[in-house]
Formats: sequence, C-alpha cells, structure tokens
Amino acid sequence: MAALEYFAVECAEEKGREAYERIANDVLLDLDLVRLVSKLHIFIDPRVPVFAAVGTTHAFGGPVRVRDFADVNVDEEGRAVLSIGDETYLAPMLLALWNRFGKDYVEQPDRFSVVVTVPKGEDPRSIEEIVVAHPEEGLYKDLVYALQIIAPEGFKVRREYHHEGVFYYVASENTLDPEIVETLVAEKLRLIGVTL
Amino acid sequence: MIFVPITYKGGVFRHDEVVDLIEDLGGYIVQKHMIAQEVVLQCLVPKEDVELIEAVGRPLGGEVTLAPLVGTEIAVVSPSLEIHHLPHSSCDVAEYLRRAGAKTNMVGLARGFGKRIANLNVEERDTINEHDLAVYVLGNFETCIEEKFPHLRRGVHVPIVLTGAPPTDRLKAVIDPPVEGYVGEMGRLMHRTKRPEELSVLDVMVEEVSRVLDEKRAAIAKDPLSVSPARLMDVILEKVPDIHEVTHPTPVTVQMVGLRVKLPYESYAKPLRALEIEEGVTVGDVADVLPSKMRNYIWIRIKPFSETNTMV
Repeated sequence: MAALEYFAVECAEEKGREAYERIANDVLLDLDLVRLVSKLHIFIDPRVPVFAAVGTTHAFGGPVRVRDFADVNVDEEGRAVLSIGDETYLAPMLLALWNRFGKDYVEQPDRFSVVVTVPKGEDPRSIEEIVVAHPEEGLYKDLVYALQIIAPEGFKVRREYHHEGVFYYVASENTLDPEIVETLVAEKLRLIGVTL
Repeated sequence: MIFVPITYKGGVFRHDEVVDLIEDLGGYIVQKHMIAQEVVLQCLVPKEDVELIEAVGRPLGGEVTLAPLVGTEIAVVSPSLEIHHLPHSSCDVAEYLRRAGAKTNMVGLARGFGKRIANLNVEERDTINEHDLAVYVLGNFETCIEEKFPHLRRGVHVPIVLTGAPPTDRLKAVIDPPVEGYVGEMGRLMHRTKRPEELSVLDVMVEEVSRVLDEKRAAIAKDPLSVSPARLMDVILEKVPDIHEVTHPTPVTVQMVGLRVKLPYESYAKPLRALEIEEGVTVGDVADVLPSKMRNYIWIRIKPFSETNTMV
C-alpha cells in the first residue's frame, strides 16, 4: 500500500500471503483508514492458528472543541450566538450544551445557528472551550472493526490494544495464552521499530 | 429430440412471436425475465431449430446464445453470511452462474467458518442435497480447506465443485476422497471481481460446473427419466392455475432430475400427485412429491425409467 510508511504481510503460505495483502489493502482503503495507520505488519499462521496485526497510527490531534467548528459571538442580551461552520459535530455539541445548560437555555433558530443563554456571572465565550467529541475513540473502533474484517472469520477469540499511537490485534480460533500474545506482539513490533 | 439450452435476449416489442415459436417447436421456456425494455428467455429448444429462432429473432434485435446451465439449480455454499464472504466472492460466483443460465440459491452455513469448529447441520445438508450441484466457495489457506472441508461435505451426495485460493492441483492434492470439480485461484476477497485475471477464473468456474453437470447428464442418459422436468413444468403451469398467483421469479424451478414447485406442500402435494400428465399417467406414478427443506415448498423428484417402466 503506497500511502503507508510500512506495510507487510507474513504468512506460511505464499498464496494466502498474497490474498491477505489484497484484503488488507481493500479494507483499509474502503474504510478510509489509510490516513490513520502509518505502519502495519500482519502475521498469519493458519496451522497454529493465529492472526496478529501490529502497527502504529498517526498522531491524531486532541479532543474536538466548540471553537474548532463554530464561531461564538455575544449578542446585546448577553447570550452566546454560535455560527456553525461544519455540521459534523453538531449533534454531539447540542448534547453537550443540553447537559451543561439545560434544554430550555439552548435554542436552534436555524440549521447553522445555536443561541445559548448562559447563567449570570458566566462568560459566554467559555463555550468555545467545551469538549464535544474525542475522534480518536471512534477511529480506534473503526480500526478494530477493519482488523476484524481482515482476519479470517473463524478467529473469534481476540486481544486488542491501542495506546499512544501503537496498536495490536491478535486473534485465534483457540484460547490465547497471554504470554504467547506478548512474545508474538513484541517480536512483530520490533520489525516496525517499536517496543512496548 | 435433442434439446439444447439457450438464452434469448431481445426487446419487449413482438417478443411474444419468439415465445410462440419456441412453444410451437416443442421447446420449453424455463425462465422469463422482463427488465424494463429487455426480455431474457432461458429455454430448452430442439437442437435443429436454434438457427430458426436466431433468424426470427434477428429482425427484432434478439440475440441467441448457448447457456450451458439452463435447467439446473445450483447451491452456492458460503461458510457464513458475514461480510468476510458476502457480497464478494460468493455473490460474484452466484451471479456468474446465473449468467450462464443456472438458478442459484445461496446457502450460508450457520457454522461454516473456522478450521476446528466448522460443521454442517442436518437442515443445511438436506437443503444442499435438493440441488443439482453444490459450489463450495472456500477461502485462502490450504491448511484450513484441508481440515474443514471433510466436515462441510459430510452427507452431501450431489456433485461438488470446490473453489479456493490455492492452485487447482493443490486443491486436488489435499481433498480426499476427491470431489467432482476444483477451481483454484479463487479465494476470499474484499472487492468486486473485475480484473481480467479474476473474471477469467470465474469463466473457468462456469466451465468446470458445466463439465461436472455434463457428466451427470451422461449418467442420467444411461437410465433416462420417466418424464422430462421441463415438460412436467409445462404440465403444472397449464393445469395448476394457482401457480400463476405465486410472485416468485421462478414459481416452478426446473432441475436436472426434478422440479421445485413454490406452493405449500400441505395443501398442494395431494392434487399434484393426482395430476394427469398424459393418457392416465399421473405425476405420482412417475415422480416422488416430497416436502422441500426450503420454506414449505414442494420438491418433485422424477423417477428413472427403470423404476417406473413408463415414459411420457
């Protein structure tokens, strides 16, 4: 895969290796995860049987705040008027505002405007700093879903991990011994220059 | 009279002339699709009349092609109905078989995945056995196919064509006892089959299925059926008016040695057995009328001449 810094599939069977290279390529492209993953090493041994995918992800910024997609102005009555630039996070933003101020104090006169009546003594501009979503969480779920699709279907027992840009996903038909998982993952992570 | 399976594709305008011609020549229309302005007829026609049908269809923009799988019902067996196997490659396989004239049914196994846990339950086995042939669409690893396939074929007595990513000779080497057909280089994939090399494998698969079915036809010819399935279909369509109320695309599905009639078994099995084909010979005399494993349909299995001593 051209867009990834490192991409390799390791398998005891050459035909299987080629097939899984194509499958991983298709799934990551379909789910638009190529921009998230930077390195990916897949190891499959159908005789054990075990599937292991280890890799790294690009740093993905911090949480999304109101200021990232809306302008906050204050009208003459002291209310905060939000002009929405991008609707992607509109629904979670409304939820966050309702939780903080209550539904009676949040109005949406039209699709791209929200008016919030803030309690007395509170700065309406502080709304800019409210955290609306953590995109990394969603992307991690997408990544696990993608790896579930890439892995052979019968491999239902799985261990997954994601922390500070490093992830692994190990799956098998049989029970997974934690020690074997650790050894295998450490060995494969070394190939991409990462130690846990 | 030797019948050949053909597909006629043409416009809706005056297509009834072609339908009449096929019927007048003694042929059978197994399936008729009307898609917008286009008509597709899948039929069995006398060998010597193919040129005549071509000649009549030409001025109407009709095209006649040989469709080796017309009059067959094929089970496409997928290890599961999960995204791992559907829509690619199982649906691609089914679609390609349909283009060659077959009626396909997808059999998604409840526990067909995994090499240690794969198995086939009784209902799945019986459903597969109601077809003329089963195409097993398996995956990418030789080790897995070798280990799980014996479990997936247990009790299946219809011819099997096995597909998988390992080359054909490797599939032949690992399957014991052998199955009737093998197609290598066709494993699990996550995109639509569109590259030339993938499409050529699907062509090979259709050829392999045709070859296996030809062998089955040759075996049937040694002890011919008491009545041709296509003829029995015509009799049912003529004498059972309720069949025209059924909204399925193929209310009567023609198989190589039988028919699937999409009417409830409980209320229609008795009248079907008593249905007269010709000169006092009834359906019950020349065929077994059985409950199908698919919904509550009726499965008619035609007996060979050696069993009935009757030929209609």
